[in-house]
Amino acid sequence: MRELTYLEAVREALSQEMRQNDDVFILGEDIGVYGGAFGVTRGMIEEFGPERIRNTPISEAAISGTAVGAALTGMRPILELQFSDFITIAMDNMVNQAAKIRYMYGGKGKVPMVLRTPAGSGTGAAAQHSQSLEAWMAHVPGLKVVQPSTAYDAKGLLKAAIDDDNPVIFYEHKLCYKTKSEVPEEQYSIPLGKADIKREGTDVTIVATAIMVHKALEAAAELEKEGISVEIIDPRTLVPLDTETIIQSVKKTSRLIVVHEAVKRGGFGGEIASTIAESEAFDYLDAPIKRLGGKAVPIPYNPELEKAAVPQVGDIVSAAKEILNRQ
Amino acid sequence: MAKEIFMPKLSSTMEVGTMIQWFKNEGDSVEVGDPLFEIMTDKINIEVESYEEGILLKKYFEEDDEVPINHVVGYIGEAGERVPDDPPGESGAAAEEEDLSDSRQPEVSDLKEQGISETSVPNETSGAGENSPLEEKPRATPAARRVAREENIVLAEVPGSGPNGRIQQGDVMAFASSHTAPKATPLAKKVAEAEGVELQGIKGTGSQGKIYRSDVEGAKQPAPILASAGGKRVKMEGIRKVVAQRMHQSKTTAPHVTLTTEVDMTEAIGMRKQLLGSIEQQTGFRLSYTEIILKASASALKLHPNINVSLEGNEIVFHEEINLGLAVAVDNGLMVPVVKNVDQKGLSELTAECKRLGKAARDSKLKPDEMSGGTFTISNLGMYAIDAFTPVINQPESAILGVGRINEKPVGVNGAIELRPMMVLSLSFDHRVIDGAPAAAFLTELKEVLEHPYKLLV
Repeated sequence: MRELTYLEAVREALSQEMRQNDDVFILGEDIGVYGGAFGVTRGMIEEFGPERIRNTPISEAAISGTAVGAALTGMRPILELQFSDFITIAMDNMVNQAAKIRYMYGGKGKVPMVLRTPAGSGTGAAAQHSQSLEAWMAHVPGLKVVQPSTAYDAKGLLKAAIDDDNPVIFYEHKLCYKTKSEVPEEQYSIPLGKADIKREGTDVTIVATAIMVHKALEAAAELEKEGISVEIIDPRTLVPLDTETIIQSVKKTSRLIVVHEAVKRGGFGGEIASTIAESEAFDYLDAPIKRLGGKAVPIPYNPELEKAAVPQVGDIVSAAKEILNRQ
Repeated sequence: MAKEIFMPKLSSTMEVGTMIQWFKNEGDSVEVGDPLFEIMTDKINIEVESYEEGILLKKYFEEDDEVPINHVVGYIGEAGERVPDDPPGESGAAAEEEDLSDSRQPEVSDLKEQGISETSVPNETSGAGENSPLEEKPRATPAARRVAREENIVLAEVPGSGPNGRIQQGDVMAFASSHTAPKATPLAKKVAEAEGVELQGIKGTGSQGKIYRSDVEGAKQPAPILASAGGKRVKMEGIRKVVAQRMHQSKTTAPHVTLTTEVDMTEAIGMRKQLLGSIEQQTGFRLSYTEIILKASASALKLHPNINVSLEGNEIVFHEEINLGLAVAVDNGLMVPVVKNVDQKGLSELTAECKRLGKAARDSKLKPDEMSGGTFTISNLGMYAIDAFTPVINQPESAILGVGRINEKPVGVNGAIELRPMMVLSLSFDHRVIDGAPAAAFLTELKEVLEHPYKLLV
C-alpha cells in the first residue's frame, strides 16, 4: 500500500471531506495561496477556491468567533491556527462559546467545528510556538481533544472529527508531519474514543501521545534487546478517552508509564494515572505508576536545552528499567 | 480493640491442639467464662472458656484443624471491628511463655523488654492493626497483595525484592510455588495417592522438577510384608500419636532395666476381704488390689526416696510428694491420671479417688492437673491372664511398676509345697538415675509390705 506523510494524510482527509460535503470549509491565516504555516493546505485553493479556503486577518479571536458562528448556522468549519500556542487568543470563543452552546441551548443549537493546530516542540520555535496545551482543552466540558500520532490515524481521526457535531480540537504534532505510514486512498474514519495498541508487550504498559508514541516505540525496540517487553497504547483521543484499553493493558503487564510532551505538572498523564488507580487495574499494579512529562519551564530556543526540556528515548528506557527494578 | 483468642498450652508436652468443635458462631456474643471451643490435646479433650466479653468476630480454624499453641484462633471484640482475614502467625515471644495467662495478650511493650524489636513481630500479632505503626505493615504492591489474597499467603512471610524490600507480584508467586504442591504428572499423582506416598519430598526428574511416575515409584518405601491394601487405615492422631511418641522417646532415651519379684498375696487378700465391706459402705466403691498396691508403693517409696526421682537436664530431682500415676487403658490409647500424696491418704480415700479418676480417664474428662505432677507410675494388668511384663517408664519419672495377675502357684513353705496366691511385680527403672541395688532394695521393701500389709498401719 502507498505511504503518505502525516501532513499529506491530513490534507487528503480535508480534501476528501470538502469534495463530499459543500458545508465544509477551511479558514485560517495564510492558508490560501501560501498553503498554511506548515503547508498542509498547499494546493487546496486551486481546487476549492478562496470561498472555501478562506484567508483571515491575523486574529485567532476573529477566526474562532467566525467558526463558532458559521457552525451554529449549519456549516462545518475547519479553522487552522498556525501554532497551538495561539489558542490562548481563541480561548474565550472555544471555552465560553463553542464548548457550552449545545448544552446551554438544550441541544437546539450545535457547533460542528474542528480547530486544527500544530503543537509541540522540536523545531527550534521556542517558548511561544512550541507548547503542548492539550490538558487545558481536555479540562473543558464540551470540547473533544484529538492527538493523532501517525499518518493513518491522522486521516481517519480528522474525518471523524469533521463528521462530529461538536467542537473538536485536533492537535497535529509538528514533528509528526514528516513521519510516514501506509494510508489507504479510500474513505475511512477512526471513531473518536478508541485507543490503539501500537505495540504488544507483557512487562510494562507505556501510554504515550503524539510524538511520544514514536519515541516510546524506539525505546521499546531498545528495551527488547534487554528482554523487556513493552506494550504501547496510543489513546489517540484524550476526550473521549478509551480507559478500557488502558485498564486491560495494565492488568496484563502490571506496570504503567505515561509519557507526554506537555509539562508533567497538571498534565494529562495525571488523569490517566488516576484513572488506573481508581479502576479494577489497581489490584494488578506491581509498581508505582510513573509519569514522564516536560519540565516545568518554557520551551527553550537552544536546541540542546529544548531536547532536555521534554522526555527523550533515553528517559523512557530508564523509566522502564526503573519500574522493572532493572537499573 | 479486638482481643486475640489463643490456642492454650495445657501441658508441658502440648505443642498443638486439635479443634474439635466451636460452641459459638461468628457474630455471637460471648460472656467471660462462656465455653468457646473444644480442643483435643495430646492428653485430653477440653473446653476452652472465654477470657473476654464481646462479639466473636472471627474463627480461623475448623473442626480437625491442628493449631500450634499460642496461635491466634480467633478474635473477640465489638461488632464491626476489623480483624485480619487470615490468622496471624505465631507470636514469637508468646510461644516462649509457659504461663497461659501471660501468653494470652502479648503487649508490644513486653516484647520490647525482652529485646525483641517491634519490626521482628509480624504486624498482625499486635491486633487489629489500627494502632500499629505503619512501618510494621509489609510493603507490597497492589498486585502482590492481590496474588497473596488469591493464594492465601501471609504477606509478612514473603521476602520482598523490590525497592526498600517492597513485596512484588513475582515474590509472592515464587513464595507460593515453593510452598505449595509440587508439580507432578497426573499419573504420578494418581500413583502417589494409591501408594500413600507424599509428593512433597520427592525429587522430580522432569523439566523444572516435575515428578513422573518413575520418581514416585523410586521414592516408595519397600512394600510391607503383609499386603494391607484392603485394610482399614486410621491416621495416628491425638492420644494415639502422643502415646507413640512418648513411648518411643522413653525407650530410646532412658536405659530401661527391669527387675521382677514374686509376692505372696495371702495376707493382702485377707486384708482386702476384711476391709471390703466397710470401704464399700463408706465410698460406694469396692476396694481393689490396685489401691492396696498403690498404698504399699507409696509406703515403700517413702523409705526409698531415691526411686521417687526425675531427671531434669543434668539434675536429679528428689520429689517431696509421692504422686502415683495410674495407667488406665482408654479407647485408642493410654492415660495416666495421677493420685496425689498417696502416702497421706487412707485406703477408702484412695478407692474413691482411683475410681473417679479411672472413669474420668475413660470419659476423656480428666483435667490437666489430674494428669500432671506424677512421680512414679503403676501399671496393673492383673485383670488379664498376664503374669509378668516389662513396663515402659512414663517420663520424666524414673521408674514404673508393672503388676501381674494373682495366681495360685505351688511354692515351698518351710520345707513343704503349698499352693499360694502369687503375684509378679516388675519394676522398670531408668539406669541413668537409679542403679540396680537401690531398685532391688525398693522392690524388696514393696514385696515385704504387701506380704505383711499390716505394716501399712505403722
